[in-house]
Amino acid sequence: MSLSDIKHSLKKYEFPVSAKEALIRIEQILVGRAGTSNKQVDGAIEIISEFVFCETDRRSGRRSGGLTPLQQLQLIDIICDYLSSCTNESTKNTVFLSLFGGMESQRRLKILSILASMAVSASSTSVLLAVGVWLQQMGCSSPQSLQLVENVIRDHFYLNTSNQMTLKALATTAPQFVSNFITAVTELYLHDVQGVNKLPPKNLLEVITSWVYSNPTLCMSAQLNPAALSNGAIPMAAVTPLAGLIHWCALAPLYIETDSEMVEVAVPFKKIKIEGEKEQSIVKNYVNKSLTESELYIKLHLGVLHSLRAGRRTHGPPTAVNAQHLAGLVPLVQAYAHQLLQRGVKLHTDDKLQDCLDRIGQSVQVALANGCVYGNINNLLTLLDTLPENRLLRIIIKTHQQAI
Amino acid sequence: MNPPNKSTALSADLNNFIYGVAKRSPQNAPELTKIGLTLLKNFPAARDAVLEYFAMVFHDAVNASINQIEYAADVSTHSSLECVNMIGAELGGLGQSWAPFIAPWCINLIMDIATKKSNVPNTTLQSTDPVRVLLDVTTQNLTLLNPEERAKCIDMMLGSWACSWAVGWVGRAEPALVAPRALALGADAARAVLAHLAGHAPARPHIRAALLQLFHEGIEEDSRSEKKREVIPYLLNLASRSDVVLKALTQDIEETLTDEVVERVRAICAASRGAGGAWEGVGPAQLVALLARSHARCLLLLLRHAHSDRTCRQLLEYLLQKLEYESLFPDKTIPLLNSVAEEIDLIREKMLTGNQLEQYSLARILILVCNNLPSEFVNTISYFLQYSRNDTTLALLVRIVSGTISMHIPNDSTDINMDTERYQNLIKTGVEYALRDAMISDTQIKRIFIEDNVPKDQKTYLHYYCLNIIKLLRWENSNQVSHLRSRPFGRAVEASLYAVGGALQQYAGLLRPRPPATCAALPDMPTCHALAHVLDRVDMSGTKAPQPSVEVILKVVQATVKYFFRCLHEKDIMDKLRGVQTACRLLRKLCLHSKLARAIALRELLETAMFREEHAFGSRTSATTSTSISASARDSGDDLLIYLNQKHGPITQLTQSHTSVFHAGIIGKGVRKQNGGGNDGIPPILSTNNELLMGALMSCMDGNSGVVEGATSLSLLLVELVSPDVMYNGLPWPDEDFTKQVSIERELYMRAVLEGCSVSRAALRRAASARPALCLASALLRAVAATLLHRLRAHLATDRHSQSPELARERVALSELLATMTLGQLLPHPLCHMLELAPELTASETVQVLRDCLWNYTRDHVPSPALFTCDSTGLHWRDPSTCKPPATYTDTLRLIIQKRISTLGHLYPIMFLNLEKEVQ
Repeated sequence: MSLSDIKHSLKKYEFPVSAKEALIRIEQILVGRAGTSNKQVDGAIEIISEFVFCETDRRSGRRSGGLTPLQQLQLIDIICDYLSSCTNESTKNTVFLSLFGGMESQRRLKILSILASMAVSASSTSVLLAVGVWLQQMGCSSPQSLQLVENVIRDHFYLNTSNQMTLKALATTAPQFVSNFITAVTELYLHDVQGVNKLPPKNLLEVITSWVYSNPTLCMSAQLNPAALSNGAIPMAAVTPLAGLIHWCALAPLYIETDSEMVEVAVPFKKIKIEGEKEQSIVKNYVNKSLTESELYIKLHLGVLHSLRAGRRTHGPPTAVNAQHLAGLVPLVQAYAHQLLQRGVKLHTDDKLQDCLDRIGQSVQVALANGCVYGNINNLLTLLDTLPENRLLRIIIKTHQQAI
Repeated sequence: MNPPNKSTALSADLNNFIYGVAKRSPQNAPELTKIGLTLLKNFPAARDAVLEYFAMVFHDAVNASINQIEYAADVSTHSSLECVNMIGAELGGLGQSWAPFIAPWCINLIMDIATKKSNVPNTTLQSTDPVRVLLDVTTQNLTLLNPEERAKCIDMMLGSWACSWAVGWVGRAEPALVAPRALALGADAARAVLAHLAGHAPARPHIRAALLQLFHEGIEEDSRSEKKREVIPYLLNLASRSDVVLKALTQDIEETLTDEVVERVRAICAASRGAGGAWEGVGPAQLVALLARSHARCLLLLLRHAHSDRTCRQLLEYLLQKLEYESLFPDKTIPLLNSVAEEIDLIREKMLTGNQLEQYSLARILILVCNNLPSEFVNTISYFLQYSRNDTTLALLVRIVSGTISMHIPNDSTDINMDTERYQNLIKTGVEYALRDAMISDTQIKRIFIEDNVPKDQKTYLHYYCLNIIKLLRWENSNQVSHLRSRPFGRAVEASLYAVGGALQQYAGLLRPRPPATCAALPDMPTCHALAHVLDRVDMSGTKAPQPSVEVILKVVQATVKYFFRCLHEKDIMDKLRGVQTACRLLRKLCLHSKLARAIALRELLETAMFREEHAFGSRTSATTSTSISASARDSGDDLLIYLNQKHGPITQLTQSHTSVFHAGIIGKGVRKQNGGGNDGIPPILSTNNELLMGALMSCMDGNSGVVEGATSLSLLLVELVSPDVMYNGLPWPDEDFTKQVSIERELYMRAVLEGCSVSRAALRRAASARPALCLASALLRAVAATLLHRLRAHLATDRHSQSPELARERVALSELLATMTLGQLLPHPLCHMLELAPELTASETVQVLRDCLWNYTRDHVPSPALFTCDSTGLHWRDPSTCKPPATYTDTLRLIIQKRISTLGHLYPIMFLNLEKEVQ
């Protein structure tokens, strides 16, 4: 069946149905016969644009509005149905990537965001896995990925705050997605962007801690289960969230105000703020959730250390943590130490700084000991040496420099 | 573990929603809405779609409720409204993190609805339930946003032309944010927004603040660009379209347009005169139109500046002319005039204190106001009458009154009478109100009294009022003021005589409450004089105005009498005489045309003089003297006769026994004093007060037959007042024995009263001179005669030679009686000379003469008016030639004279010789 025939047959249907039919045709085009030609791929892209996303008019003129939110929802439903019913992992991923793989379309990205968010809400494993693959293929720190992750965070940690159990369960159903998701999240928070440090909201931190702490293998899952792609596609290397999480844990003592505990609690605001209500909700929160934010970071740190141990690979080079990534911590800590000096505080008496250095030391030691670090380890050690005085760190540096 | 189950459940909701929406119908709307709401909570990602669906629901609901207004409600409206309420409740409560999504959605939806329904009137649209819900949700969510987002949302709304009402409504939550932004728009859009915003009272200060800020920025010294100067035309332009803006700008305009600001504005205007552009829209015509819609304070400001500024003066004149022209259309309301009516106190005050320009301009305005509002007309008259202190302001009042009356009257109008009648009534009400208010003011505590800086010539408010009225009346009477030709004030005062009389009565009353620190504590008399003067100036004859009613006459007469007696107590003789004269004039005026007035005046005068004010006339009453003396006697204990006479020990005293001796004296006065009491003398008739009173009495009986009638009633009154009962008050004199046996006690009593009361004796004399009035007081004469007979006879029996004071008194009384009777022509020719004879007679002779010549003659010739004939001139008199007493009555006299011819001989020819001749 030629491209024009397919188009002609699709034109018989109105929008929702036409999209459904189009998906089947696309699958046929892309997967059906071995060795798809460029021409066929182009045709599939055309069909996607015209019949799935309705970006071009039936008569090839530009459509002004695109899909209305309701139509988007219908389309998402159709895509979900399709993805759930698709049995072949690689077919699914191929179709998915061809739907959303394009870098340029903001509209599609928006639909994808909604799709991902809905999948999270509905715990739709197949969709989440596909999204996980998409994240990995796009690169977890790419702007598109970050935008998608931001959308998901806003939907599930700001707007809807009552779904913690569902979210926690995701770690077991869609670990690849979760792993990539965390990697992207670590890019969003506690990254010094022009002197502004955004702290992750507490419920997000809780969920991530719970994920990492309860599944030591989670962080490595994206690497352990490589994405199933169509023949000829180039799989992108998965980046583990470990380095980012080490960042978080190490920097947390520096940025969390000890007395900010009480304020940082994300209180779901009521319509009208009544004086005194805040205190009340804090007390409630304090009773319900035994862990404060700094305690959560401690727990997360332990979880990370566990994950590092699980990240040991029996064969092949280490892949878990990039040494350069870890080295990125050094300037931040040094800047902090510099501030302290300016204020005339002695470095070895500052508990926060020592806490931070201890955690860096622990992480580095566990990572090195388990052979999880790749890249220029020597460089890392040299940089660590420039950090302020810390006993544990000194021992570790000495030990490993001798080993090399 | 059941995530699949759960996920399918959620997907089922999603599917239901998606396909439900695809086949949307009124029936499944509530169901879908519920699903939508759960989706919103569980699938935040679906929010765009859900909100879109909700927008459809809102559109439907708006349609439904607009139609519902026109047709009866059906099921679908109901369900859609139900949905809307459900959605409203949910969206309002989603919290802060949702607000950035909900608020723009709401605003877009409002704009959508407003644009689609732009053919529906705003008010209808606003009052529909869905729109209300939507506006509530918007407001709730806007308050949750942070300032930048909020500003963005509001800008979004301001961009749309169709939903200014929504901006106004939603802006109520954030007036401080909306008002300045709205002002940045064009005049039309700003007007619409501000109008809606001002529907919410707390937003108004913000509007005002924004406007003022704009204004002040616009006139700042260093405002670089000329563009900024256009703020003034812009504001004026805006104000001309929007009442809200105008109100906000003109509120407290004195604070806004201080003198420096005005200077600055003047400079700017001078600089940009002829600049064209926006300034062309604000010529004098527009300014005047604006002023006509503005507040009274603006007018005052204009007046203040008009004094020094030519432009302002021109504007003022222009404005006045426009107002006067516009007022000719009866059903046109001019806001400025309404405002003036509201602030009328301020305006009136300005009228009193302002300069000439202000006074004249405000008078013109007041004419317009008064013409529209009769109540203000009344109040204005009342105010001026109370507070005007000089001729200028009074003249303004005249001007206002005449202007108001004649404003609407075309020359050929037929209902001119009706209209003037109506205005006359209003003026009368004003005069009355002023009187009432002045009297009330007099009883109020005033600051000047508390601070104790009362000016020397401080007068009561009523006094000022009277002075104003007097001046107006004088102007009227002068006939030189054409406006007062119709005597509006004179007629008004005449119509409210009752109130004026009441006031005089109240102020002349001694028992008036006089609270400290009020005008009531000031001396009364100046006020009373002024009131009397007012009454004096008014015509009460009924020639120019309808005859005053009975109540009015009664009131005024009573008041006048009261005033008269107060005048008698005046220290200053000139004041006293002047006051009395005024009172007499008043009485004369009143009594001239009304017998009723005369009767009441006489009675009041006499009663008061005899029983209440007797001390002023030197009278003494037996009651008071006896009580006072007995009181003093009781103090000393045993001075009373009864005690003295009981002190003679335990001997039983038999009647007629010679063993007992009694102290002599008058019961109640103790033992008789040997030299006689100094104050026992009969009070003299001739005293100033007595004469004044007589003058007053006489002035009551002015006129042709008035004197006789008046004197007659005077006599009757005297009888009534003196005689203790109603019996034996007839004209005939009974047999002398009869009096001895039956009526001697009451005659003694009447005698005592008459003797104690010089007024009554003086009045008797007056009655005697107006023959035949004295006849009617025959009972009194009889009483005197009877007691004289009795007492003289008693003296005859006891000590004939004594020159005791009692005897002297009896003689005085006798001569008075004779004089009175002679004057009244009750004793014809020979008998009348008893008067000359009496002092010469001995006691026994006197008794004889009294009995034979006086008593018996009078007994046989009943003193009745029938004896007096009326001659051609209307004068009553008794012709001596026809009423010669028979010899039986004159023989005693003749014998006595003959017996004592040596001393009394000169009387004989006078008394008898002519008679003899005639007999012969």
